Amino acid sequence: MKWLLNVIEKVRPTFEEGGKLKAFHPIFGALEHFFFAPADRTVCAPHIRDPLDLKRFMSMVIISVVPCVLAAFYFFGLRFLAMIIVSYAAGLTVEAAFAIVRKEGINEGFFVTGILWPLILPPTLPLWMVGLGVAFGVFIGKELFGGTGRNVFNPALVGRCFLALAYPKAMAASYLEPSHDLAGRLLTWVDGSTADAVSSATPLALAKQGEMVATSHMFLGSISGSAGETSAILIILGGTFLLMTRVANWRTVAATLASFLLLTTALVGGNRASYDMHGVLGPAVWHLFAGGLLFGAFYMATDPVTGPTTNAAKGIYGIIIGSVTVLIRNFTGYVEGVTFAILLGNIVAPILDEIVIAIRIRRLRSEG
Amino acid sequence: MRFRGGHNVLLKGRPDSAIRVMPEPKVLYLPLRSERFTFSDIQVEEGDKVKGGDVLAKDPDNHGVPLLAPRAGTVRLGAAENHIVLEDIAQSEEHADMVEEEMQHIEKQMGVAGINRYKLLSLGAWQFFYDAFTGELPDPLGTPQAIIVSTLSLDPFVARGDVQLHRRLLNFTRGLEQLQSLLEYQPIYLAMPNITSEFANLIRNQIRGYAWVKMLEKPLKYPFDNFAILARKLGFKSSNGPVWAVRTEGILAVDRALTLTKPCTVRILSIGGTGVSQPTHLKVVPGYPMQKIRDKYVFEPAARVLNGGVFTGGILTEEMLGVDVECRGITVLPELQEREFLGFIRPGWDRDSYSDSFLSSLRKDFRERLTTGLRGEGRPCVACNYCEEVCPAGIMPYLLHKYLYADLIEEAEQARIDLCVECGLCSYVCPSKIDLRTQFVEAKALIAKEKEEIRREQLRQEEARKREEEARKQAEENSE
Repeated sequence: MKWLLNVIEKVRPTFEEGGKLKAFHPIFGALEHFFFAPADRTVCAPHIRDPLDLKRFMSMVIISVVPCVLAAFYFFGLRFLAMIIVSYAAGLTVEAAFAIVRKEGINEGFFVTGILWPLILPPTLPLWMVGLGVAFGVFIGKELFGGTGRNVFNPALVGRCFLALAYPKAMAASYLEPSHDLAGRLLTWVDGSTADAVSSATPLALAKQGEMVATSHMFLGSISGSAGETSAILIILGGTFLLMTRVANWRTVAATLASFLLLTTALVGGNRASYDMHGVLGPAVWHLFAGGLLFGAFYMATDPVTGPTTNAAKGIYGIIIGSVTVLIRNFTGYVEGVTFAILLGNIVAPILDEIVIAIRIRRLRSEG
Repeated sequence: MRFRGGHNVLLKGRPDSAIRVMPEPKVLYLPLRSERFTFSDIQVEEGDKVKGGDVLAKDPDNHGVPLLAPRAGTVRLGAAENHIVLEDIAQSEEHADMVEEEMQHIEKQMGVAGINRYKLLSLGAWQFFYDAFTGELPDPLGTPQAIIVSTLSLDPFVARGDVQLHRRLLNFTRGLEQLQSLLEYQPIYLAMPNITSEFANLIRNQIRGYAWVKMLEKPLKYPFDNFAILARKLGFKSSNGPVWAVRTEGILAVDRALTLTKPCTVRILSIGGTGVSQPTHLKVVPGYPMQKIRDKYVFEPAARVLNGGVFTGGILTEEMLGVDVECRGITVLPELQEREFLGFIRPGWDRDSYSDSFLSSLRKDFRERLTTGLRGEGRPCVACNYCEEVCPAGIMPYLLHKYLYADLIEEAEQARIDLCVECGLCSYVCPSKIDLRTQFVEAKALIAKEKEEIRREQLRQEEARKREEEARKQAEENSE
């Protein structure tokens, strides 16, 4: 790969101070560092560094959603590829524009947002909405706060919240009944205009009308829903990988899911919520697999930037997300509440951190 | 006793347990500076002939700790900047025992315990002592709460305790006895690794007879050999007075100074790291020409030579011509040369990481060929919390970083930045490549400076007030 490095070295002066295209230095830098690790050296102790960098950190998240991405192709067809492309194109434009204005490097964080974003959208959503939503999310949810590392809200969820409030009808009408063929829709293109497209309500919407989809279908993923959120088993698979690499913290996930299960069981057991299903645990597990809960718990709530930093606060944060989801699902007009629950969690995360840190500092005061 | 955090970095080039004696030098270059000391008070003159053990210079800021001539020779002061050069080295003559009269004079002044302390200081053993909390040289006439003795050296790489103890176990136990004679009732804690090797058992059996030595077993994990961490874990408070801390070489020096009354001018240091042809331990005297060691052991053309380990050591520049009096090891790291193609998507079988994001986490421990590469770009903190998990001191590095970034020194002080032991692990694990350790070291220095200024200001004000009062009294008297 010597030739590529030579090319990079050759065009470098154009983008450096005094070159013609120096405004585009962030884009040049991002490309350069995509291909080649930086040549920087340590200057003082410690003289060595861990191999983990932010690129690797974010790559781990992308690798972990690969099963969900493949499932989206299988259930909803090639159109999903177009959604990914639009998502990256629109989001990167905003990101790059801000990098140029701020004269900072393009941050790796967006590559995660760009892949998570189409996964939480209805599969036949108009492509302009895909682009608009991600641009809104990155702009309002991240860049206005100062970019990756300084944002308060998860940008993908801000975008989704925006679409859900601005275009509720289009969002609700864009859900698609997945293919039940063995070959799936691997090489087909299905959108709102195709004859074979059957717009169908999600299991959570059906449940409001008293119709329950089989839990086993929700486990495998052959149900209507957001592109990457249908298959519980694949999310658990990818999520477990993410937990094993320690990029996502298990405390958040465990607290979210445990509090969700507990509260749902309590509600069903106490006859506060009734479902057309046997037993107490049945509806709880059904709810666990339904909608975006698993995806949100594994991939959205565990975002280190928007979640709390301290371990103790992570537990409380998870409990808030899990229980708010239950409350929204059962006692409000909305059928799904994970997006709102996590955004609410993002709001309280800094306060939770403050409290935990204040306690720890008080304890530290008596040390040494 | 529970330890938190910590992490071992397995660097290639671990020194073996042999101690090699370097050939006798013709010229010695004694640096006037080392980590803690600056020998500014020079006691010899150009052309003086000195014997081994003579005082060449003293550090007036550190209780007059002396720089001793390791060998007999002729002094050259202007030959190299910041060095005292000794030419025509001869090993045979050694400084005789202390002069009888001088001893009697001191004994009259300070008593028997005082004379032992005086011997330690003047024979070069005192420089092996540390204040556990500050890392500075303690006052030789002070009374410590306790003494912590540690045989561990976990920073990769500095001279290991077990290597130095080899065949010198008797000297070690005798040194402990001598040390005890300095104390009244204060305990000595001996920190040892909790491994069940034959050698460790041997030491344990030897020590068991001494009731005043308390054994303290600790895991072999960096940086649990740090004196500040040990002192804190033992429940000592810095407000109750100093805790002395000393390593293996210090105990051996105490034995030599107090039992034999001979100057301690030999150092065992390690030479290791990725860029060393034959990692081992060396027996040298301070001032030993660095070039000779480089010629023999460093084979990388572009290498960074460190005075100490990779986590805390400083860069050994070309200006340093000889081994300084505090050197415990020389570590050689190759500089980063090649840029890796698509490095971040490689499986990482050969990359040892604190995180589990590389395939190597499925592998048994192995030693990696590390270089000085930063291995990533600097980014804002993403609050991954790795720094807090790895921190052995129990503070929150990301929080301190946030405070210091916003110039909130006072908040950083309240979040106990002073508990930081400067081990460098937070900088090492940070995926955003933030140089936390340097920030903390600088902030701590700033805080210390401010405190000193405040103290001085208070003294000045008090004096002024006193003077005013006196003047007023005088005026009153005059008026009467």
